[in-house]
Amino acid sequence: MSITVELFGIPRQRAGIAKTQAEGARLDEVLLDLARRFPRLAEACIANGRLQSGYLANLNGQRFVSDPSTALAAGDSLLILSADAGG
Amino acid sequence: MPSHHPGPPGYHGCYLRIDVGKQCAERVGLAEVELRKFLGGSGLGVHLMLREGSHQVDPLSPEAPLAFVFSPLVGSPLTTSAKFAVVSRSPLTERINDSLASSHFAIAGKRAGCDAIVLVGRADTPSILIIDEGQIRIEAAGELWGLSCRDAETQLRARLGNEYQIATIGPAGERLVRYATISHDGRHAGRGGSGAVLGSKHIKAIAVRGSQRARLAEPAQLVALAKQLSDKSFGPATAKYRELGTAANLLVFNRLGALPTRNFQQGTFKAAEALSPEQMTQTRAKTRASCAACTIGCEHIYGFRGGDNQPGVRMEYENLFALGPLCGISDPDVVLGASRVCDELGLDTISAGGTIAFAMECVERGLLDAPWLKFGDGNALHRALHEVGRREGLGALMAEGSRRMAKSIGSDALTFAPQVKGLEMPGYEPRALQTMALGFAVGTRGADHNRSGAYEVDFSERVDRRQPGLEAAGMAVETEDKAALMDSLILCKFLRGVFTDFLAEAAEMLNLVTGWDTTPDELRATARRIVTAKKHFNILCGWQPAEDTLPERFLNHPLPDDPTATLTPERLQGLVAAYNTARGWSSEGWPTRGQIAELG
Ligand code: SF4
Repeated sequence: MSITVELFGIPRQRAGIAKTQAEGARLDEVLLDLARRFPRLAEACIANGRLQSGYLANLNGQRFVSDPSTALAAGDSLLILSADAGG
Repeated sequence: MPSHHPGPPGYHGCYLRIDVGKQCAERVGLAEVELRKFLGGSGLGVHLMLREGSHQVDPLSPEAPLAFVFSPLVGSPLTTSAKFAVVSRSPLTERINDSLASSHFAIAGKRAGCDAIVLVGRADTPSILIIDEGQIRIEAAGELWGLSCRDAETQLRARLGNEYQIATIGPAGERLVRYATISHDGRHAGRGGSGAVLGSKHIKAIAVRGSQRARLAEPAQLVALAKQLSDKSFGPATAKYRELGTAANLLVFNRLGALPTRNFQQGTFKAAEALSPEQMTQTRAKTRASCAACTIGCEHIYGFRGGDNQPGVRMEYENLFALGPLCGISDPDVVLGASRVCDELGLDTISAGGTIAFAMECVERGLLDAPWLKFGDGNALHRALHEVGRREGLGALMAEGSRRMAKSIGSDALTFAPQVKGLEMPGYEPRALQTMALGFAVGTRGADHNRSGAYEVDFSERVDRRQPGLEAAGMAVETEDKAALMDSLILCKFLRGVFTDFLAEAAEMLNLVTGWDTTPDELRATARRIVTAKKHFNILCGWQPAEDTLPERFLNHPLPDDPTATLTPERLQGLVAAYNTARGWSSEGWPTRGQIAELG
């Protein structure tokens, strides 16, 4: 199943793109797919199917998610961003 | 000057109290117990305001005290510690104001042999204050009066020599704009109008030099700890600040519908991408800078497209949002130019953008007769800033801030003036980030993102940011306590991500500097005391529970571009009561007698 991944800030810098499609029915599967395709993103932000500390995932602009088994549905957008929203 | 006890390590044990009218100074002792209770920076600043009776006088009167407060960590090898707090009663809010700035002024000020400099009085004519090793003299400002912050600093340094560190006001401070800043080396103690307080004393600039270092209790161990902290500061927790700066918030906030746009009429801005640092980095030259003694370097300085011989402009999220989407501006060069104008005039960008955006909406609604002042019009934004900085035309009204302006306009203007307690809101749409809405409502200096980090709760799985439960209140308290400690120790908040156990690590730093045996529990209690002291100050100024709310726009109207982002008055009131209870105050927000007595 393909979902949309939107990247912001450092994740966008590392991946070199703002948006992509990724395969997976769960959060960890999508992150593993991203890690495989974007090694620099993986190095900075992803470890063992989880986001490293300092980064957050948000589903459809609605809720933040971290449980690797979080189910994703076709048409979902997964946002990956820096955790620190201070400014 | 009378002698005083030298104070514990990390301190000088006194503040320098200067009457700029009488042109005299005295060293006033600070007991170790006071220092341990309030640390430095914001905490010691509010203590000094209470001690000096600042609440009893108009903030722009000659008697009003204005404090530049250093901290135990200033001058230590710890990264990001070269900071100072400027504390007074705010001319904008009439409540406590503590604004922080960075760099060499903090180090030089402390080396003048004091833990704070408190100014009272008013010079007869525009003047500069020179503090040389704790000895003072007042000189005529002469041709410096009227200059921009940067030009005044450059010319005064050329006159006095490079060993002096200089803080100045711009034309806005001279004209008592209620959100004028105090600037040092391009950085500003920005919020709440401390520049107007200095201007009311007829002081254009303070130049300070000194060589008196406070001793450190355990210098060797402190150097080792500082090295570890610096190493951590190069890691992933600060990557966002190093590589993109705070401006990286823009696209995230826009995607989450939390980017205040057109005076908070929307939470998204169509042209956000063009203003983002991700985009701007590709289209224009950029350099990086950092405050003194900082290993992070979050300052990203952008050049103008196509050159422009002018120096670049520091771009932070707050000036980007306030002078961009909030005013409907989508051209990065206009926003950069407006930021530079604010820097030169010495204007708080958030209050300037907030007040002008409010005026733009007033024009749209037919409440103000200024057809030139339109959302999205870059020339109008620049004209408005210049008028504010010089109090010319409509600027005379806008210089008062959005709350006073709304009261003067009448009708329903106050319902959409973007402020709490008179302080214009920073770039966090409170209907989309409702724990932050609570942080704004209860903030002792008004709507504020530096004294409350409640947005961190919204950016987590712990709450539903559009519908937080009452448990969010306790989490908001935690973020406020952490901010109170960081602002008093002082450490830069952009370092906060590197700590695994902040209270324990902060206690270790403080103990190595001072020789104390502070524990995490003591620091937690210290943070709560500092927040209560600010609340107590506000109560003495006339605070009432009804102040702890948001303008009606945010309470009775959903966000038009996200109807699920609706904050009801009942939810906000419930959160405020839960917050007060979590602080150990009455549910309305009154501290107990015991809590007040403990401040003494
Ligand atoms: S992180 Fe930025 S604001 Fe903080 S001390 Fe360093 S340069 Fe200054």
